[in-house]
Amino acid sequence: MSAKAKPALLWLQSITCNGNSHSFLNHPDLFSILSHFELVYHPILETGQTIEKMLAGTLPCDVLVLEGSFRQKGLRKNGVEVLEVALQYAHKAEHIITAGTCATFGGIFKQKAPDAISGFCFDEAEQTPRYRQYADKLISLPGCPIHPKWLGYVLMMIADGRQIPLDEMHRPQELYGITVHTGCSRNEYFEWKVDTKGFGLKEGCLFYEQGCQGPYTRGSCNRILWNDISSKTIAGTPCLGCTEPDFPRTTLFETKTRMGIPETMPLGVPRRAYLTATGIAKSFKIKRFEERIITYDR
Amino acid sequence: MTMGNRKRLKRESIIQTALQLFSVNGFHKTTIPDIAQKLGMSVGNLYNYFSSKDILAQEIIKYTSEVLGEKIREVNMLDVSAEEKIHKIVEIYFTMAKEKPEMIEYFLRVYLSNREVFSSGCEGMICVSEFITEIMIFFDDAVASGELRNQDFFSAFGLFMGYLGGMVFLKGEGVLPKEIETYIDDISRNIYNALKA
Amino acid sequence: MTVKKLIEKIEGEAELDFSLKNGSVEDVTINFGFYRGIEEIMISKAPRDALVITPRVCGICNHAHLMAAVQAIEHGYAGTGISVELTDKAKAIRDFTLACELIQNHVKWFYLTILPQLEHLTKEESKENHALKASYLSTTITKALAIFAGQWPHSSYAVPGGVTCDPTYVDVMQAQALVDETVRFFEQVMTGISFDAYEQIDSVAQMHEIKGDIGRLLYLLGHYDMAKRGQSHDRFMVLGETTGFVQGKSIATTIANVDVRYVEEQPQSGTTAKAVTYKKRQYEVGPLARAMVAKDPLIRSMHKRYKDSLLTRIFARMHEVAYLLRICQTLLKGLDLRQDSCTLEGHLLASDFEGIGMVEAARGSLIHKTVVKERCIENYEIIVPTQWNLSHGTQSEKGIAVEAMVGSQSMDEASFIFRAFDVCSVCTTQ
Repeated sequence: MSAKAKPALLWLQSITCNGNSHSFLNHPDLFSILSHFELVYHPILETGQTIEKMLAGTLPCDVLVLEGSFRQKGLRKNGVEVLEVALQYAHKAEHIITAGTCATFGGIFKQKAPDAISGFCFDEAEQTPRYRQYADKLISLPGCPIHPKWLGYVLMMIADGRQIPLDEMHRPQELYGITVHTGCSRNEYFEWKVDTKGFGLKEGCLFYEQGCQGPYTRGSCNRILWNDISSKTIAGTPCLGCTEPDFPRTTLFETKTRMGIPETMPLGVPRRAYLTATGIAKSFKIKRFEERIITYDR
Repeated sequence: MTMGNRKRLKRESIIQTALQLFSVNGFHKTTIPDIAQKLGMSVGNLYNYFSSKDILAQEIIKYTSEVLGEKIREVNMLDVSAEEKIHKIVEIYFTMAKEKPEMIEYFLRVYLSNREVFSSGCEGMICVSEFITEIMIFFDDAVASGELRNQDFFSAFGLFMGYLGGMVFLKGEGVLPKEIETYIDDISRNIYNALKA
Repeated sequence: MTVKKLIEKIEGEAELDFSLKNGSVEDVTINFGFYRGIEEIMISKAPRDALVITPRVCGICNHAHLMAAVQAIEHGYAGTGISVELTDKAKAIRDFTLACELIQNHVKWFYLTILPQLEHLTKEESKENHALKASYLSTTITKALAIFAGQWPHSSYAVPGGVTCDPTYVDVMQAQALVDETVRFFEQVMTGISFDAYEQIDSVAQMHEIKGDIGRLLYLLGHYDMAKRGQSHDRFMVLGETTGFVQGKSIATTIANVDVRYVEEQPQSGTTAKAVTYKKRQYEVGPLARAMVAKDPLIRSMHKRYKDSLLTRIFARMHEVAYLLRICQTLLKGLDLRQDSCTLEGHLLASDFEGIGMVEAARGSLIHKTVVKERCIENYEIIVPTQWNLSHGTQSEKGIAVEAMVGSQSMDEASFIFRAFDVCSVCTTQ
């Protein structure tokens, strides 16, 4: 890439639902971000290149965006194994972005054939044999789907030539250093251990009964809002842990407990510390948290 | 001996003395001057440690919970089966009931029977949180390992602690025909059988 | 002569094998690629996990899958005697968010697929950034959706008994403004006339009043003599129980009731997609079908002149945008926040049931069937709209899209006719 040329951006789909592509199309600054790149191929946006040319593996590629999970053999497009194409571009690229949980860890579609399907560099939390070869250029952006602003941030950092601080799974720390719980509109209820009385209420925390995985799921959904306006937990839906290597878990709308104690603790919090704090917080009945916030004329 | 240490020991001796007097004379009949007199200290000095009888009562329950919690915590750290842990917890409880009857009696006769004393400052489980936390951890581990059946915390807790409390109560009433420690094996087995997976 | 062609810039890709004779299309085989096995993934999961897993069938119509999944559970619960009466508020919110998804889908398809491909085909390239329009509209209307559903794509906010959100009028006012903004876009960019004036148009004779990008589409199709191409069996089906749409079937212009028991799925050779028929016959589903069954005056007027052609099919989808925008406005205006969002207690779970959910997704009728034994899914079946429109057909008649493509003068024209069905390969290869 010459000093002046824009980096070539190539978006490649493997086993996917297209959800990441559509999520990114909802970025309000989409075309400003893309203006920093030469968009070489995209599954939805026109680029002047055909899929046949892309599959031939001959297009330029500085930034490779991967969407969907991978299998060694059996996913062919136009007679070509998609993994082979991905490897060709991965070899050329300076940055590889695994966009979404499927490309990063394997995701939902992995469950069809757990031994054959994985993410590009991770198989759930384990490194795949490909990891070593691509680790130095890998950026993981899990999420089902990817948050448009998260990808926008990474692309702009690349365009700006900045170093992105990454964690051990190559996730940007600025996005995944916190949990989905951070910034949740129900935080007060979590602090005082007041569970919601059921679905469809703005009051109460979803961690105790409704299966919310927010306190132990990495991601900034409640700091950088979805569609610039909301999030699952704000809308009363439990966080489903969609950025995590083991997504999806099972019985997603119920909190798994042992003798009433949540099976999974908030991220990094020792169980004894959690139970002590919980026992104390629960001992107080705080009137404000037992009441409706708004009483419409009933 | 530093000042801090001396204060701490004095505090503990006040708690011990108060516990004894409460269990012999009853909570309501025991006064602060009674406790001070028994300790050979002035009433004014005692108030430096505990500003009221209610505060003293609350500190005692915290102290009891800490002592009991500490011992159960040691059991939780052991790499043994849930069945063995139950046996050890029952043993701890009954040994305490025998060696320091005032402590368990205080819990049963004062803490559980005089809730008004504890309504402000000891809401819910605050003052017994160390003990409760360790029991929760014991249950959590035992369900995780598949040894105990998963259920609501209070249905399990009530069975376990209600049973032990009941036995100590019977002992206190003088109706147990045998020494309390002779019941440890059977009671442990009963609890395990009731809670096992 | 058989020629293979890979079709992209649809949802996923499809491979068409064209049989050509003297340059015109004699037959087409439609092949979809990789089978992902969502139905199998569902087996032995908890019934409500379908609300999370099945939307991941499709990145563009995920919300419709959520609605079909929740209706299947509610239908199953009702069968066991658990009363699942949604409040008007919960129903309205569900219908609103689903309508937003349809609008998003139709407008994206128009700007990302239909207009660019039509320009390529007619070599009437414009300098406009169609994708920017698609992205702006999609961002705006899915924001309105997300106010209630938390996010788009892949919300799971519809649960048995209602919805998880508990909106305030602050939320409703924001949603109204976003819908109004979408209406403004429809007026100023898509049609060049006021929304009220657009709604007055009820016959082909008045269609010249439509300007903007839809006007351009109509011009291109007319000018290049494509208006009557792409006719198929002229049979339509609407199975979904979604507000604003009428259930039924239409053969030519005769409307009749439908019963889901006559819907059958059959495996097809050479593709992972299953075909689906009603009483062994091929039916078209989607916006054109909905307009025909609901006897929409403008679409009926077009149909009278152009039958179930490319023009009628494409226009019906864009016409539905206006129809849905009006529904969106009405639903929001009627929202009464005093009502409950969810009427079913979370712990009320039936352990054994069978349920079916039918909704109108962007591309047509979508069916989910769940069979639950001892609180675990024993069988899950999904029938997607594309299976109706894009099957190979039966011994006696060709599939809907195949029939529409046969007789095309070129593969490019046939590919365009194919794209007019708003092809979704990811749904088809669930």
